[in-house]
Amino acid sequence: MSALTSSLRRRLSVLVAVVGLGALAGCSGVTYAETQLPTSSAPRPSSSAPAVAAPTCDNATQSYAPLSSLPSRGEISDGTMRTIIDKGYLTVGVSADTYLFGARNAFTGGIEGFDIDMARAVAKAIFGDPSKVQLRVITAGDRIPLLKDREVDMVARNMSMTCGRWNDIAFSAEYYRSGQKVLISKSLVTEDKSAASWGLADLKDKRVCAPTGTTSLTKLQQVAQPAKTDGPVVVTAGTHTGCLVLLQQGKADAITGDDTVLAGLAAQDPNTVITSAKAITVEPYGLGLNKADTYLARYVNRVIADLVADGEWKAIYNRWLAAPLGPAPAPPTPVYGR
Amino acid sequence: MSAPTTNIPVAIPAGASSGAPGTQPPRTIAGSLSGGVPGARGIAGRLLHGTPGRMRLFGLLGVIAAVLLGAVSANALLASQAAVERAANNTAQVVRAQSIHVDLLRADAVATNAFLVGGLESAESRARYEAAMSRVASGIATAAAAQPADGKALGVLAERVQTYAALVEQARSNNRLGLPVGAQYLTQASAGLRADAIPIVTQVVKANEDRSSKEFDRSNSSLQLLVGVLSLIGLVALAVWLAKRTHRYLNPSLTGAIALLLVALFVTATTITGIGRATRDVAQGDFQSAVTLANITTAANDARANESLTLIKRGSGAANETSWKTDKTDVDTDLDRLKDATLISLWGDYVASHQKVRSLDDGGRWDDAVKLSTSTATDGAAKTFGDFDVAVTKARDDAGKTTVTNLQGQGGSAPLLAVVVGLVALAASWLVVRGIGQRIEEYR
Repeated sequence: MSALTSSLRRRLSVLVAVVGLGALAGCSGVTYAETQLPTSSAPRPSSSAPAVAAPTCDNATQSYAPLSSLPSRGEISDGTMRTIIDKGYLTVGVSADTYLFGARNAFTGGIEGFDIDMARAVAKAIFGDPSKVQLRVITAGDRIPLLKDREVDMVARNMSMTCGRWNDIAFSAEYYRSGQKVLISKSLVTEDKSAASWGLADLKDKRVCAPTGTTSLTKLQQVAQPAKTDGPVVVTAGTHTGCLVLLQQGKADAITGDDTVLAGLAAQDPNTVITSAKAITVEPYGLGLNKADTYLARYVNRVIADLVADGEWKAIYNRWLAAPLGPAPAPPTPVYGR
Repeated sequence: MSAPTTNIPVAIPAGASSGAPGTQPPRTIAGSLSGGVPGARGIAGRLLHGTPGRMRLFGLLGVIAAVLLGAVSANALLASQAAVERAANNTAQVVRAQSIHVDLLRADAVATNAFLVGGLESAESRARYEAAMSRVASGIATAAAAQPADGKALGVLAERVQTYAALVEQARSNNRLGLPVGAQYLTQASAGLRADAIPIVTQVVKANEDRSSKEFDRSNSSLQLLVGVLSLIGLVALAVWLAKRTHRYLNPSLTGAIALLLVALFVTATTITGIGRATRDVAQGDFQSAVTLANITTAANDARANESLTLIKRGSGAANETSWKTDKTDVDTDLDRLKDATLISLWGDYVASHQKVRSLDDGGRWDDAVKLSTSTATDGAAKTFGDFDVAVTKARDDAGKTTVTNLQGQGGSAPLLAVVVGLVALAASWLVVRGIGQRIEEYR
């Protein structure tokens, strides 16, 4: 019964549709459904996973003893180094946007800075030519995975030596000592005069940016929400320069990172200031290497020791950092014996 | 058809109303007069009484059928033509949206490439970026005016494009000052363009392709003619009924009317099917190649931007090289379908230069790779790509124009034919009236 009525109704509706279609098509224009917008992806920036307690030890800066002298290319029998020599160049993971340490020169297109000079010094030692280096631009978060996968031979990208990282990779001896500081937008200073001396903990409910995969972010997460209810709000970006973009776009109020990096950011934006608060941490920079490459580490340590000994380290420092940070201090004392 | 010419048996002289059946309202003229206004039902009842009354009723239905057939045929003709016109408009909109898509990717390829070269960008590349962006701006305005249903999507697109352009300008001004943050702005601009703006353009293209194909289907509106066929059957039934009633087999007027309507219906059906077939040919021919060429242009420009991005990322651009390969597969597949020897050879030249660029970069010679990628010398990637881009864009524009012109040429005679069919239907109605009138006369 209901089947009968429904079929009748269907036939009726078809008839109505046919007649209606005719009337519609002939008399008036066809109206179309509005074009649908694609479903939008979730907005960035996202806050990352909460901090995990960093492993501790007391020999984070301890590296392998340097070779007694630099061997010639022919004398080297170590597998990793032979591969590099056969390849003809050293692949180094670097930053292209850390002003003064590793940044692309917008006028020449070349990448230059303190870290780049360190990489070139190693290439010069191996090949006798500082240009035998393939600079591969990587983010902070890429550093450890790329070293582990041997996608790069070495990382020269303001990388802090930490106990946790020693579990995954090897480091050269310390070649630079930095410390984590805070850079704030000058608008905070106009609101609150004391802002110029703020440390991380003072930035209550302010959005503080740090790049993913950095020790700065780990430190920030320890004092920020949700770990501390009245702490800063964590905002992340791929790089420090990405943080500067967020700050300029009003999506962050402050950036935390190593003082050298922040100096580079402040130099690019006169509306920011590095606060006078004491450095939160000590950040010893080392050149990152694959965990198994102890021979390469010893070789690189010899290169660094020679750079320090012949005054080249000071020259590199002065070339990049004398203007913002003053003349070169004494180079960090290397710790060997691992 | 006034009352006196017909024979109404109940037309009783005035004053003799007593003979009329009891309770019904007075049917006499006197009764009508006494009632004030003549009852419409009274007149209708009188007109439709008996065999002549039925003839009159069926005659009226015959006229309605003739008019309906004419109206439906004319309507179907106009609907077909209107559908073709809308198909042409939707196709034009598809071409417009695809142009926006290509120009956005082209602007991005130029911007990233200028950045790759380093230093101040050349006036020529700046001009090419601006030309592409102004084509995008005017294209969005034109497209929004052409299809109101796209208005909202295009509004959002305009907003996203504005964001993109602002980020590129910020990248540019920072770059002029030599600040690395410029590179970051450019990366953000490119990523935002692909994540936020391009999907909208793709959506607009898809929506209008759907609309086009729906109109292609509608252009064959012969389904409506079923109503005409039913009308015709009704008229034939009327003729048969009349022949049986009057025992006169041929009614020349009524037969003439049926013949006229049959011809009209046939001509309409043939015309509409013709329009439908021709439109389908365009849909499967010119329109398909226009769409294919547009896909090639977009994929090729995306490939070119990916080449630059791979180099900019200096060894960390593996994802962009993968995208380049996907783009290449798309271009190859579509070129195979078109079998255009010139385009295939030009594309081959570009692929060869790209592969040289990759082998230089993979071999650690980044500077040389950049030089080759941006070189406008004979084998430089900028030159080979530019040649291909110019050729494929021209082919696409031509195919798009051909499609729209061919569609607009379809069904041009339909309105005239609709008027003729309408007149024929009126003539047929007159013939129906005449034929029936004749029989009524004879019956009396």
